[in-house]
Amino acid sequence: MTKYYDIDDIITEEETVSVIFQKAASGVGIDPSAEIDFIEAGSKVELPFWLAHELQLRQAVSVNVPPCFNQKTRLEIQADSASVDLRSRCPFFYEFGCKIAPIVADRTIGFLLFSAFKSRYKEVLTKAHTATFTAGSKFWTILTKEEINLYETAQSAMASFKKWRMGGARFQVASILRRKRKSTE
Amino acid sequence: MYGRKGCQLLKELSSAEKGHLPQFNSDLFEQVFAECSQHHLELQSLIRKMQEEGLDVQTAKNADHHGALIHHLALVRNKRCLMAYVYNRADNVRSLLWKIGHVLPKEIEEKLSHSEEVYFKKHSARLKSYMSSLQVDLTVDMVPPKDPYIKIRVLDDIGEGIVLSDDKTANFARHSIHFLKRTDAEQFISRGLMEELTG
Repeated sequence: MTKYYDIDDIITEEETVSVIFQKAASGVGIDPSAEIDFIEAGSKVELPFWLAHELQLRQAVSVNVPPCFNQKTRLEIQADSASVDLRSRCPFFYEFGCKIAPIVADRTIGFLLFSAFKSRYKEVLTKAHTATFTAGSKFWTILTKEEINLYETAQSAMASFKKWRMGGARFQVASILRRKRKSTE
Repeated sequence: MYGRKGCQLLKELSSAEKGHLPQFNSDLFEQVFAECSQHHLELQSLIRKMQEEGLDVQTAKNADHHGALIHHLALVRNKRCLMAYVYNRADNVRSLLWKIGHVLPKEIEEKLSHSEEVYFKKHSARLKSYMSSLQVDLTVDMVPPKDPYIKIRVLDDIGEGIVLSDDKTANFARHSIHFLKRTDAEQFISRGLMEELTG
């Protein structure tokens, strides 16, 4: 309930998973391949996670492992985790993984998430402290949302440290206006 | 797919740059609202159908039950999206008050919906009355200054006859440099009309 208003949490739950209906359902247009608004038991449908999860709790569907945790991704993460483009697979890779792990039969997802995060974490922090802005912006197109937060936090910590050492102006334009000013000048 | 539009609404909010408030998307907001009513109607018709068949709505687990369940879940989901949209924007609107001050620039005011404008004004009035009862201005800088006066340069024409706290008026023409009380200058700096000169 604490995450009721959390935008990232809501967007994470929009991620689609493929499910197999165990029970029939009538009057719903969620299966694009069906001509009438009726879902037969046994049909395979792509549903957003929020719907799949609730239906799974009531034993109406069974959930398959989503493609972003498939064998190919696993092999890539084992080979060189830091250069895998996780963002294009799922921008909320870790959060989604944590949500999906308890409802699919696959027991290895937890370990996959852990090992991927552990090895990428080091890389993210190193790049955040050393990379120049242009190199950094190229690098972060492959990061998940969580990792970008980490990256930005590391950079702002560095910036605050420098500011503390050198000193600087206390007052600044409110950040919401800053971009606007520059464009009008 | 059900609930997609609600999520779009939130994606718009989250893809905006940090601290920037996007335009209130009343069009999409209305569409999600309409989707909710549609789910409600379909939910009711399914329940009615079950009742006509003489089934117990509480316990029967037939196809209609699962259809109604899906509509119910989609309805709750859409509600969550709408609530989160309004809630997070309200958060943002409140923080504008602390960051920019009691008067919003026009380009930001345009982005608010009507009820958000009212919300901002009421919030601002409440804060003012609270501060006057405490006799403390809470919006000033948190760190105590070393010198109560600072040197500033005016970046934009602010106009003549602005009354300062020591009852004098000043002419803030563009590019002029002044030596002001910190508390007077602060609100202009945060609105981007002046800059502090250091060193």
